[in-house]
Amino acid sequence: MTLLKSAPPLSQDVDLSKTYDAVVVGSGAAGGMAAHVLTSQGMDVLMLEAGKKLPIEQELRSMQWPYDHPRRGDAPPGYHSLSFNEYNIRTPPYAKGSTFKHVMSYVGGWGGSDYVKNILVDEKDHPYTGTKYAWVRARALGGKTNIWGRLALRLSDYDFKAKTHDGYGDDWPISYADIEPYYDRVDRYLGISGVKENLPHLPDSLFQRPNKLTFGEVKLREGLKKMGRVLTPYRAGVTTDGLKHNKYRSKCYGRGACDRRPGGCDIHAAFDSPTGLIYPAMDTGHLTIRTNSIAHEVLVDKNTGKARGIGFIDSATRKSYEAKAKVVIVAASTLESARLLLLSRSPQHPNGIGNSSGHVGHNFCEHVMGPGVSGLVKELVGKPPTLDDGRPGGFYIPRFRNLKDRQPGFVRGYGFEGGGGFSIFPGNAMGTPGFGAQFKKDVRDHAGAFIGMGGFGEVLARYENYMDLDPDEKDAWGIPTLRFHYQFGDNERKMCEDMVAAGREMFEEAGIEVVGTDSQMLTEGWSIHELGTARMGNDPKTSVVNQFQQSHDVKNLFVVDGSTHVSASCQNPTWTIMALAWRSCEYLASEFKKGNV
Amino acid sequence: MTVTRREMLAATAAALAAPLVASGAAKAAEAASATGVAPKFFTAPEFALLDELSDLIIPTDAHSPGARAAGVAAYIDFRLSESLEPEQQTRWRAGLAAVDALSQELNGKAFMQGTAEQRVAVLTRMAAGEHDPKTPADHFFQELKHWSARAYYTSKIGIHVDQQYKGNVYQRGDYAGYDAK
Repeated sequence: MTLLKSAPPLSQDVDLSKTYDAVVVGSGAAGGMAAHVLTSQGMDVLMLEAGKKLPIEQELRSMQWPYDHPRRGDAPPGYHSLSFNEYNIRTPPYAKGSTFKHVMSYVGGWGGSDYVKNILVDEKDHPYTGTKYAWVRARALGGKTNIWGRLALRLSDYDFKAKTHDGYGDDWPISYADIEPYYDRVDRYLGISGVKENLPHLPDSLFQRPNKLTFGEVKLREGLKKMGRVLTPYRAGVTTDGLKHNKYRSKCYGRGACDRRPGGCDIHAAFDSPTGLIYPAMDTGHLTIRTNSIAHEVLVDKNTGKARGIGFIDSATRKSYEAKAKVVIVAASTLESARLLLLSRSPQHPNGIGNSSGHVGHNFCEHVMGPGVSGLVKELVGKPPTLDDGRPGGFYIPRFRNLKDRQPGFVRGYGFEGGGGFSIFPGNAMGTPGFGAQFKKDVRDHAGAFIGMGGFGEVLARYENYMDLDPDEKDAWGIPTLRFHYQFGDNERKMCEDMVAAGREMFEEAGIEVVGTDSQMLTEGWSIHELGTARMGNDPKTSVVNQFQQSHDVKNLFVVDGSTHVSASCQNPTWTIMALAWRSCEYLASEFKKGNV
Repeated sequence: MTVTRREMLAATAAALAAPLVASGAAKAAEAASATGVAPKFFTAPEFALLDELSDLIIPTDAHSPGARAAGVAAYIDFRLSESLEPEQQTRWRAGLAAVDALSQELNGKAFMQGTAEQRVAVLTRMAAGEHDPKTPADHFFQELKHWSARAYYTSKIGIHVDQQYKGNVYQRGDYAGYDAK
């Protein structure tokens, strides 16, 4: 099929005198999905994105060899990426007083910072305060979907009905049956690759052809079978067979750059919101986009108390504007969405719009990561190189704790992400001792023989883990910043101890020699899976939105991103964010037509 | 425009061509380094010392050319020349001086004046502290080795000739690897 390389042009002049059917704040997975669903229902939508529209293919340069880049992928002098030590020894705002011209989150510290330096925010312009937190933000059309990790997983009733299962926290106001048809639609519309495993706790998607495993990964899969556990090829939000209905995305050719760098795919086989959702929505003629538009207030009709639009600042000119709409959809990412609600104080909504419950900013949760294990597959030592990293990811080991068993130390569970085999850079070179011909041979002989994995565990949603607005600190545009009051608890610590022990046990069972374990929990925020700050629920006293992500207080206000998740589960959230947004926006469009919002 | 078919072919061709170019690279790169482009940051003697140290860490063997052929010292020199961190530049200068000081202590002469065996002896002493660095020379060895490896294994020679890396190509048919059965 024909692939259009060029995106449709954004309109130069956005008509702000008109009242749109809906204004969507944010252009990532949630905002993109809202635009797709609402425009396909014929609604006129204005999308506001705080960041720029980047020439993304030129940023990503997916096939560029390291030696064809003057700094082998590193950003030019003047850029600095925060390290684990900086996040832990210092307190936010981390970039304050830095002598570097630009400061990026830790993601910039992976190999390839030059490819993401314009996608990630400059921490100098975007400070935050409070407890330590590794907050990763992307301000650009598409948001973090431009560089996301692509692991696309479903939740199950072990997650939606978690309280029923183990007594902790709250159930979601929906069950798997409610969202399953929308997961199916996301699968078909955006493409996902994987292997069916028939697991009740990790439902299968409608998969396109899977990524393959390496020798060591097959060995681990076989070992886990003996333990009644599963290793499955990375379930990637990547179209491996192509999408006939989307002219902006190519199928995946297994180039693998997405897994060698902080992410990104310049042929858009990996899902990103612009090519997957936004450009097709523009082609309906119903979507208008304004970039460089930093929303700072949901505007309220003084008479009705309903939302009437968005107040925003142009990031370049610093001029203030109002966008008028009949429905306001907040999809700015979990923390930015909660910030926007809290910023929107009015006589009708003194604690921030949609916050009569006082729950906005609370029940903040995510995934804890860091602990892991690395091993040596001895059969591979000295074997000739094979193509092992032409993939969007290696493998996933679904949760196996607290399903039928009850762990003494913790509730909920964790999964492992991992991979093994040759990669473009032999990471073992950094740990191989000595020098000279023997060193060089050791590096060569062992380069493809390692396998490693790390856990992603559910952080419990707790009311006392929250963020609010800092009374003093402001960002570069004068908007109050977030202040964190958030830390891991004992459940997370016990779970992380178990990750190390279980990881070791699985490698040993599979006959893989354990060569290292890591028990260090990474800083709060590291997983980039923040959730829960405007949670769903049936009770307006203890939740912010209903099961259709509609504000209990303001019926023409919807919050359609990860902030609405009641619990974090241990599965990566992007696919669930999009399935929920699809469901909610379909409901919204139907109510809109009936004149009910 | 079709899926970048032309680009695909171009990319594949480049990937295929690269190893061929690189396999003759020992001579080619030696010739290039022999052309003696002036270092940007280091003095000529410092550069010669760095070049020698990197090539002792990753030498040419029967399998592939080493750090000198891969232009490791030139890459480190370039990165330091544009560095905005004066302490990083100072550290490298001091590190090279520490190598000479250690060589004086062990062999009674500067590193580059030593025999091949004497040079290896200096590096062996530095490497002994690799896992628990104490002296300035120990610390410098860590940084020197880290950067040498980083530069070598991201070079054409490192990727294509030494590692014989198979990826960063368009896989037009089935993906490489094993099915999950």
